[in-house]
Amino acid sequence: MTSDQPGQSRLVPYFFALPAIAVMAIGLFYPVLETLRLSAYEVRLGEAPTSQAFRGLTIFAEVLSDPSVQASMLTTLKFAVIVVAIELVIGVGLALMLEGKIPGMSTLRTIFVLPMMIAPVCVGLIWRYMFDANAGPINSWLSFTGWQPAWLADADLALLAVCLTDIWQFTPFVFIMALAGLQGLDSSLVEAARVDGARLWQIIWYIKLPLLMPILMITLLMRLIDALRGLEVVYAMTNGGPGLATELFSLHIYKSAFVTQRMGHSAALSVCLLIVTTVLSAALLAVNNPMRRERA
Amino acid sequence: MDVTRRSVMKTGAAAAAALSMPYYARAQGRGWDKLKGQTIVVNWPAHPHYAVAKKLLPEFTAATGIKVELDEMPYLRLKDAQVLQMGKPKGDYDVCVYVIMWKTEYVHRKFLTELEPMFQNAELAMPDYDRGDIIKGYYEGLGLVGGPRGYLPGPGAKLYGIPYGAECSVLAYRKDIFAKHNLTVPKTYDDLLAACRAVKQKEAGMGGLTSRAQAGHQVTAGWLLHLTPYDGLVIDDKYLPRVADEPSLKATAVFKEIIDTGPAGGASFDFGQMMNAFLQGQSAMYLDTISVFGPARDPARSKIADTVGYAVHPKAAKYSGELGGFGMAIPNNSERKEAAFAFIQWMTAKAQDVKASAMGGQPMRLSTLDHPDVQKVYPVDVYRECLKIANPDWRPIINEWTEISEKVLGVHLSEIITGKAEIKPSMTEAAAKIKAICERAGYYKT
Repeated sequence: MTSDQPGQSRLVPYFFALPAIAVMAIGLFYPVLETLRLSAYEVRLGEAPTSQAFRGLTIFAEVLSDPSVQASMLTTLKFAVIVVAIELVIGVGLALMLEGKIPGMSTLRTIFVLPMMIAPVCVGLIWRYMFDANAGPINSWLSFTGWQPAWLADADLALLAVCLTDIWQFTPFVFIMALAGLQGLDSSLVEAARVDGARLWQIIWYIKLPLLMPILMITLLMRLIDALRGLEVVYAMTNGGPGLATELFSLHIYKSAFVTQRMGHSAALSVCLLIVTTVLSAALLAVNNPMRRERA
Repeated sequence: MDVTRRSVMKTGAAAAAALSMPYYARAQGRGWDKLKGQTIVVNWPAHPHYAVAKKLLPEFTAATGIKVELDEMPYLRLKDAQVLQMGKPKGDYDVCVYVIMWKTEYVHRKFLTELEPMFQNAELAMPDYDRGDIIKGYYEGLGLVGGPRGYLPGPGAKLYGIPYGAECSVLAYRKDIFAKHNLTVPKTYDDLLAACRAVKQKEAGMGGLTSRAQAGHQVTAGWLLHLTPYDGLVIDDKYLPRVADEPSLKATAVFKEIIDTGPAGGASFDFGQMMNAFLQGQSAMYLDTISVFGPARDPARSKIADTVGYAVHPKAAKYSGELGGFGMAIPNNSERKEAAFAFIQWMTAKAQDVKASAMGGQPMRLSTLDHPDVQKVYPVDVYRECLKIANPDWRPIINEWTEISEKVLGVHLSEIITGKAEIKPSMTEAAAKIKAICERAGYYKT
């Protein structure tokens, strides 16, 4: 549809876009603006912001100088980088191995995506049991080695356990995305490379991965944002412990809201998370924006 | 007048009904009839006692005509939902079950209805309810707010809740393991630690004492069990932190040793895992709430049903046990307060307390402890002794307690027991944080 058709107003496209804009405004902008407003008030859960409770930007200064917030940010970054990198490597690797025509592939794909379909709290509870030092299957499998770690009672191992759980749950997402991308590639390019004598690793490295990059960037972005916002699994598995070893940023925000009940602080932390996520996303897209490339 | 068999039976039935009327009438308030048909929403925890209590709900509805809609959730999630509901002008909950540690904050924020005026209302109060029969420590500890320090019984204290699922601490031990290794049942903490070491050393795959220790509320609760027996305090009467004082440091060292000699992975146990470790034979002892009584003799949950003995919480510098658990209250913004009050009374009345206790619930009335059905299933003598040492000042239930417990002690203690931090520096840091919280709350204003 173009606006230069006879009798058609330039406003018509905006009119059609209006419902979507309204939904976005209510569903997205209102909560964000309300969070911004709340971040300026010292209010407890269940209380309305009042002029006496107004503290302006001082709450941001307070939360950013809090060592437990800094520790939580660091843990979150560590967690996000580890899990997203490993998920990408394993997910893409599996997709490359299984992209050919394999009997029963559709069943396999369904099985692969099952972890993604389980509610995160259930995933946390399942893996908490899996990592149980006494009755957990993982220590049972490790019994022949004589190594019986107390996974969730050790600061380093607890973070590793949380990472492994996330990798188990979300590698299938990367796999499905990569597989879809690989199956959409122009096979003539691969054939041409083969005719030219390219080896398998050369085909993967020089042909498939570059062509797959737009999809991988989107996947990376989605997973990174998800990892930075991770809450339920770690809440159910460790409640952030031992100490603060697995206290991801979202869990810290949750505790600020529901444990200390300082809603202004919780809102300020949420705004910080929003900024970090936005900056990271923008940086990634600046490096490699698949949509810009498509337009070009 | 002919006296037929039928007329005799009719007369007998009428007499029986007439005789039972006074009891029926006493079992309800005079004005409960008008409450028929109302539906109340009750928010309570997923907990062994409440699992039993749930079985009584159809009977309550049949007796009163009041329907009950349950909103059941893990006990540490209750507060999130309750604060959100009670903070609104009109809330969805008519009855809220709170954990003892929230009572002061709830009253301070005007969330709860004072119950004394309702008990004084002859239309609403059950004539034979007998509040004096409720175990005193529970009644005062769970129900009263506004007294000394804001939460202790005494001048200014008012009734805001009725204990239900109230608890004190008890030591449970494996009689077979103690006999096998010739261990004496611990009466003191020295005995307790000696038994912990012996079991860890001699019994493969088993720990001495199971304990809650997951970061946050759980590790603090586990530590508190040992704090007051060693004469330690979290804060003193002037709200100054005392967690880095010698008695508290000693209690912390004992707690660490208990975790070190306990079942594998104990430093991450929440309440359920802690109890299961005992019930599944991974530890020789359990020192926590009496809620173990029911599950320990349930073969579906316990592998050790026939081998459990009970003893009083051991002595260190003094005897001092836990006093905690749950209380039932009516939110100020409930629109069905009268039906809610009827529900609370009926559930906590003598007859229901016996029924619940006989099914594995937690007794909260003195008369229940005398009931033969309850004596068959409960170690009543030990329970009475435990009640004597239950300490209402076991933890400081000030408004800021949740923050102190979860965000300060819950982190530092977790780091200490997992070897990430040394006891003294970490507790000194915790003390500074507690002081900052109390300062922010205005406790030091002159």
